[in-house]
Amino acid sequence: MGIVKIFSQGLATTARKGKLLAFLWPVYLLFALFVVAPFYVLLQSHFSRSLLGEKLFAGVDMLWIGDLVYKYQELPPLVIGWLLGTSLLFLVLLAFLNGGIIGRIAAAEEKVTLRDFFGDCGRYFGRFFRVFLLSLVGYFLVLGILGRFVSIPFRVWSKGASTQWTTLISSSLRLVVFLLLFSIVKMFFDYVKVALVADDSRKAVRATLRNFRFLGRRFFRAWALFVIVGLLFVFSTLVYLAVAKALPKAGLGPIVLFLWQQAYFLVRLWTGVLAFATEYHFLKAYRPPT
Amino acid sequence: MRKITSPSCLALGIAFLLASPLIGAQETQPAEKGSPLRYEISVELDNAGKMLRGREGIIWRNQTQDEVTDMWFHLYWNAFKNERSAMLEESREEGALGRSAEEEGSWGWIDLTRITLSDGTDLRPTLEFMIPDLPAHPEDRTVARVRFPAAVKPGEEVRLEVEFESKIPRTIARSGYYQESYFIAQWFPKPGVYEEGKGWNCHQYHMNSEFFADFADFTVQITVPAAFVVGASGKQMSAVSSTDGKTVTYTFEQARIHDFAWTADPDFIKVEHDFVAAQDVTGQEYADLSTKLGLPAEELKLPDVKMILLIGSEHKAQTERHFKALRAALKYYGLWFGPYPYETITMVDPPFRTGSGGMEYPTLFTAGTGVLTDKKVHSPEGVIIHEFGHGYWYGLAANNEFEEAWLDEGINTYSTGRVQGKAYGPGMLSASLFGWPLTWLINFPRNFDYEFGRVAAIMIAERDPVTTPSWLFSSRMSYAMNVYMRASTCLNTLERFLGEAAMLRVMRAFQMRFRFRHPQTQDFINVVNEVSGQDLTWFFEQFFFATHNFDYGVSRLRTEEKKDLYLGVFDVEGRKEEVKQKDVAKGEKADQDKKEGQKTYFTDVTVRRFGEAVLGGEARVKLRVVFEDGSEEVRHWDGRDRWESFQFEKPAKAKFAEVDPDLIWLIDSNISNNSLKTKAGRSGVIRLVSRLLFWVQNSLHYLSALS
Repeated sequence: MGIVKIFSQGLATTARKGKLLAFLWPVYLLFALFVVAPFYVLLQSHFSRSLLGEKLFAGVDMLWIGDLVYKYQELPPLVIGWLLGTSLLFLVLLAFLNGGIIGRIAAAEEKVTLRDFFGDCGRYFGRFFRVFLLSLVGYFLVLGILGRFVSIPFRVWSKGASTQWTTLISSSLRLVVFLLLFSIVKMFFDYVKVALVADDSRKAVRATLRNFRFLGRRFFRAWALFVIVGLLFVFSTLVYLAVAKALPKAGLGPIVLFLWQQAYFLVRLWTGVLAFATEYHFLKAYRPPT
Repeated sequence: MRKITSPSCLALGIAFLLASPLIGAQETQPAEKGSPLRYEISVELDNAGKMLRGREGIIWRNQTQDEVTDMWFHLYWNAFKNERSAMLEESREEGALGRSAEEEGSWGWIDLTRITLSDGTDLRPTLEFMIPDLPAHPEDRTVARVRFPAAVKPGEEVRLEVEFESKIPRTIARSGYYQESYFIAQWFPKPGVYEEGKGWNCHQYHMNSEFFADFADFTVQITVPAAFVVGASGKQMSAVSSTDGKTVTYTFEQARIHDFAWTADPDFIKVEHDFVAAQDVTGQEYADLSTKLGLPAEELKLPDVKMILLIGSEHKAQTERHFKALRAALKYYGLWFGPYPYETITMVDPPFRTGSGGMEYPTLFTAGTGVLTDKKVHSPEGVIIHEFGHGYWYGLAANNEFEEAWLDEGINTYSTGRVQGKAYGPGMLSASLFGWPLTWLINFPRNFDYEFGRVAAIMIAERDPVTTPSWLFSSRMSYAMNVYMRASTCLNTLERFLGEAAMLRVMRAFQMRFRFRHPQTQDFINVVNEVSGQDLTWFFEQFFFATHNFDYGVSRLRTEEKKDLYLGVFDVEGRKEEVKQKDVAKGEKADQDKKEGQKTYFTDVTVRRFGEAVLGGEARVKLRVVFEDGSEEVRHWDGRDRWESFQFEKPAKAKFAEVDPDLIWLIDSNISNNSLKTKAGRSGVIRLVSRLLFWVQNSLHYLSALS
C-alpha cells in the first residue's frame, strides 16, 4: 500500500474520531491555566491597582517589564523550577493521554466516548511510561552522542569560514540534521506505542526491539509519511503567524487573536492525532496485528 | 524646576534664555594651544608573518609649567601577550577571556626595538615597565617609561625616534586579524597625557576600560600588499605603488585627533558619498533649532563631509542603509551638539571575525551587521549612529575613558537614543534563531532606546556609582550597565526635568566648550548648573556619585464620604452632648437621600519615598489626584522626608492618585507604585495572561514530541 493511501486513511480516521480533540483541548487548556496561575496572581497583585496595569492591555512595554524585572530579580530560579517541574509532570500526563489517543484510533468502535478514552489512558499508561523512559535513552544516544559526531564536520567547516554565510548555512544545516535525527527518534517510539496497542502487548522492551526490524525494512516510507504530517504542522504554523501578524491590536483585535490562537492550537492537536493515525494504518498495512 | 510643557511656557522660556548672558558663552571656543603632539609613523604589514614593523617619530611639546624628566607610553598590544597581563587576568577572573586568545599562535605583542632622542641619544637603557594601577598586575607590560637625559622645560619640544615590531593578535578586543583581514587599533607606542602638577596619566590596558590620549597631528604611511583595500583615520593624501608593484604605500594625514586606527582587507568594497548640508538640512530645521538654542541660524550651519564606507561584499546590499544612518548622525549630532569639524568620516563594516561590532576611533569607526537583517530592527543603524557619535563624545570632548567612562559612553548612549528616535522612531526588538531573523515572522514589540536603558539602569543602581573608574567596577556587567545605560537614563531624566530645549543648550555648551580638550565630570556639572540656572549638584550626587535607588510612590489612597456626625461627647454651647450610634445611623440614612453632587467625600493620599535617593534643589514630586466627577487636584512635595500625606474634600470620590504623572523621573525603579486606583482592575492582566496561556499551551504541545 502506498503512503498516499495510508495518509488518506489516517485523515479519514482522524476525521471520524475528531472528538478526541474535544478531550485533548480542555486538558491542555486546564494544565496551561495551572501553569500560568501563579503568574496571574503575581501580576494581579502587582498591577491591579496601578495605572500601569492598563498598559498591559496594550501589549509588551518596557516600563512594566522593567518594574517586574527589578522587583522580582530573585525570582527566576523559582520560575525555572516551576516550569521544569510542571513540564516533567506534563510529560507523565502525556504518557497517559497517548494511551487514550492511540487506543481510540485503534478501536473498532466509531464512537469516541470520554469513558473509553480515559479507560484507554489508564490501560496503556504503564507500558507507555516505560516507552517514555526508553525514548529518553534513545534521544540521549542519538542526539547526545551521535549528534556530537554529526556536528564535527559542521564545526570544522564553520571554523575555517571566510564569510558569515558559511557559518549561517553550517549552523542551519546542523539544525536541520538535528531535527531530522529528532524526528527519527520520535517516529521510532511512536511506532513502538502504536505496536503495543495494536498487539495489546505489555512488553515495551520487546516491542522496541521488534520495531528496529519493522522500521529497518521500510524506514524511508515510514519517515516520508511522518515528514508529510510534519510539513502540515509547519504549514499551519506559517498560516497562523501570517494571520496573527495582520490582526489589529486594538478594539476586538485581542479577542480575535485569542480565538485564532485557540483555533491554531486545535490544528496542532489535530496534526498530533493524525500522526498517530497514519502510523497506525502504516503498521496495519505492513504488519497486521498479531 | 523649569519644565516647558506648553506654548506659552515655551515663549517665556525662550524670552528668559534670550535675556540670559550665558547664551553667548555656550559657543565658547576651546583654548587654542594647538596639539601638544605630532606623530610621523610609517608601518609595513607583513601579511604572511602577521607582523607589523614600524618607525615612529614622536614630537612632544611641554605645554605645562612643569619640568618633565620622563615619558610614559602605552604599549597596548602587550595586553594580548600572555595571561599575566592586567587585561587577561581581569578577563580570566570574570570568565570572559576571548577564546581566540587561547589558540596557539594567536598572541599579540609589541616590542620597542629602538628608542632615541633626535640627537641619537639611546633611551632604551632607561626603558622600564610601569604598573600604575591597583590592584596590581605586576607582570603587565602595557605601560613603559623612558627617562630623558635632561628635563624638558616648559614650552620646549622633544623628538623621539622609535622603531617597533608587533605581532598582530588573532582578533581580540577589536584588534587583530582573521585570515587576510586586518583591523589595526591601539597599535603604536603612544605617550600618556601629561597633567600639570600630577605627571603622566597613563593607565594599563584593562578589561573594562577604553583609552585616553592627547590631541595630536598625525602623518601615517601604511605599506600593504597591493591587493589590499585600506581605510584609516584621517584623509588619504596619496597611494604610491612600489617599483615592483607588489606593495602600495598609503599616506594619511589628520590634525587634532588623539588616536589613529586602520584596516586592510583585499575584499573590501569602497564607496564614497558626500554629506551635503544644503541638501540634508532644511532652512526650517535651522530656524527651529535656532529658536530652541537661542543661537543665530547662521551659527548652526553644518559643513559638507566626505563619507567613506568600506563594506564586505556579503553586506553590499546594505550600503544605502549604512549611508542613510550616517547622514542622520552627521545631521543631528551636527545640529544639536555642534558641526563635525573634520573633512572625512570613514565607516568600516568590520571584516568577518575581526571586529565583533562597533568601535570608535577619531574620524573612523566600525559598525557591524549581519547577512540577514530586518529593516524593522534598527541594526546596523543604531551602532552606526552610536559609533559616529563617539566622534563627539570621546573624539572631540575627549574625556579620560579609564577614569570617567560615563562621560563618553553615557552621554553618547543618551545622544544615540535621541538621534535614532528622531530619525527612525522606535525599533523592533531583535530576535533570531540560528542567524535567521524571527522578526520576519513575528511582530516583536517596538521600543525607544531609553526604555531599554531604564531597565538596566534600575537593575544596577545599587551596585557601583556611575563615576567609578572603569577597572574598579565590581563586574564587567556593572561597568557596562552603569556607564552606558544608567548614565544615559539619568541624562534622559535630566532632560525631562529641564525640558528638551534647556538640555540641548546644556549638551551643546558642554561639547563646544570642551572640544579638543579633556573634560571631567565636574566640568559637566558646572555646565549643567550654569546653563540651567539651577544648582543641580544634588542630582549628580544622588545619581552619579552614589548607589541610591530612586523610588517615589503612592502608598495609600483612602476615599470615603464625610460624616456629619461622629460618636462621643462634644461641647456644644457650654453643654456636653453625646452623639450615639442611633444618631449616627439617622444621619447616614439622611445622607443616603442626598444626591451625588450634594455629598462631600474625604480623600487621604499618602506619598512615600521608598528609595534612598532624595530630591534636592527646586525639584518636587508632583501628585495628581483624579476624582470620579472628572475633576483633578495637583500638589507638589519636596520629597525630602520619607512620607507626606495630602487631604482633599471634594464632591466626588477619588478615582486614582498618581505621582510623577508626566514621567519626569524616568530613573524611578518602580513605576507601578506611582499610581494607586481605588478600584482594582484586571483586564490588562487577563489580556497578558491569555497570551502567556497560549505560549504555555504551545510549549506543552512541543513536549509531546518527547513523550
